[in-house]
Amino acid sequence: MVLSGRTEAFEPLVTPYRGPLLALAMRLTRNREEALEVVQEALLRAFRSLGRFDLSRSFRNWLFQITANEARDRYRKRTREEAAFKDVAGAGAAATDPEAGHDREELRTDIMRSLAALSPKEREVFVLRDLEELDIAETSRVLGCSSISVRVNLSSARRKLREAIRRDFPHLEEGR
Amino acid sequence: MTCRKFHKLIPLAAGNDLRPRQARAVMSHIDACPACREELEGFRRAMGGIKAAVKAERGAEWSADEWDALISRVNAAGKKARAGEGRAPRSVFWPRWAAASALGAFLGLVVLGVLFNGPARPTRRSPNGDGAAAAPGAARQDKVAITMVSPETGLQVVWFLDKNFDWKGDQE
Repeated sequence: MVLSGRTEAFEPLVTPYRGPLLALAMRLTRNREEALEVVQEALLRAFRSLGRFDLSRSFRNWLFQITANEARDRYRKRTREEAAFKDVAGAGAAATDPEAGHDREELRTDIMRSLAALSPKEREVFVLRDLEELDIAETSRVLGCSSISVRVNLSSARRKLREAIRRDFPHLEEGR
Repeated sequence: MTCRKFHKLIPLAAGNDLRPRQARAVMSHIDACPACREELEGFRRAMGGIKAAVKAERGAEWSADEWDALISRVNAAGKKARAGEGRAPRSVFWPRWAAASALGAFLGLVVLGVLFNGPARPTRRSPNGDGAAAAPGAARQDKVAITMVSPETGLQVVWFLDKNFDWKGDQE
């Protein structure tokens, strides 16, 4: 029905995934407002490219793929803009971290902050594999990279998080 | 497998993400090495803790307004796309139609111009002793025009030949 142009049929199609999509976008962007924009753009993209959806694939994972791509595009764009701003502003001391301005709006919870220790690629892999529980093959498909790359980034992400937990949240390791 | 090599594989072993051969090697190592087994268990507890904590994070809920706004935007985009599809054939068709009409009119004018100017030439040649063109009425029949009109595009192609389908110049 959606393929035949009935937009009203799109809502029931994506409603079951609205929570997981927003959670994924929040974990990737660490900012709720930006996550809402990411999901909005991702669903628009999904609506426009629904005709190209491979029916043999999981619809949820396809939506995850579009959302992850959108979040990555925004991260790159923001990094470029901040780098350009830094150049113009004369590379101020407070702007050494490309995410410094963004940090002000971040969700200030401890756990979400621990994800900041990860590189964007490590975060994507960790979120998809460990939080969304996609397997290695599906994670590599969603991110458009090899399974070797997924394993390398996953290993690195878990190691960093383990160190962060040991340092900042030892109670989590003790199961409390 | 050595303990050093095992430590490199712990992050993937903790999530059962090793390739089968590596997984077998890890299993046989931790059977023989209690320290590494304890290290692996600690890693798994830490991962379990962080997963549970992240999943318990709030904020991934949509307010009714946020979701309605999003769906409205998708609906608007869908309507815009449909309207665009409706206009597309016309925008493609009209320029072709106009171009074909203009070409047809131009060729028609050329044909009319040639037809009106054509009969004058044989009368100019008749004083040179050309017997076939001596009579004015016969001279008008020397040229034959064949017009082909394409029913699809309106394109007209006109051939001008003499009555023997030969070029006059070749005979002279």
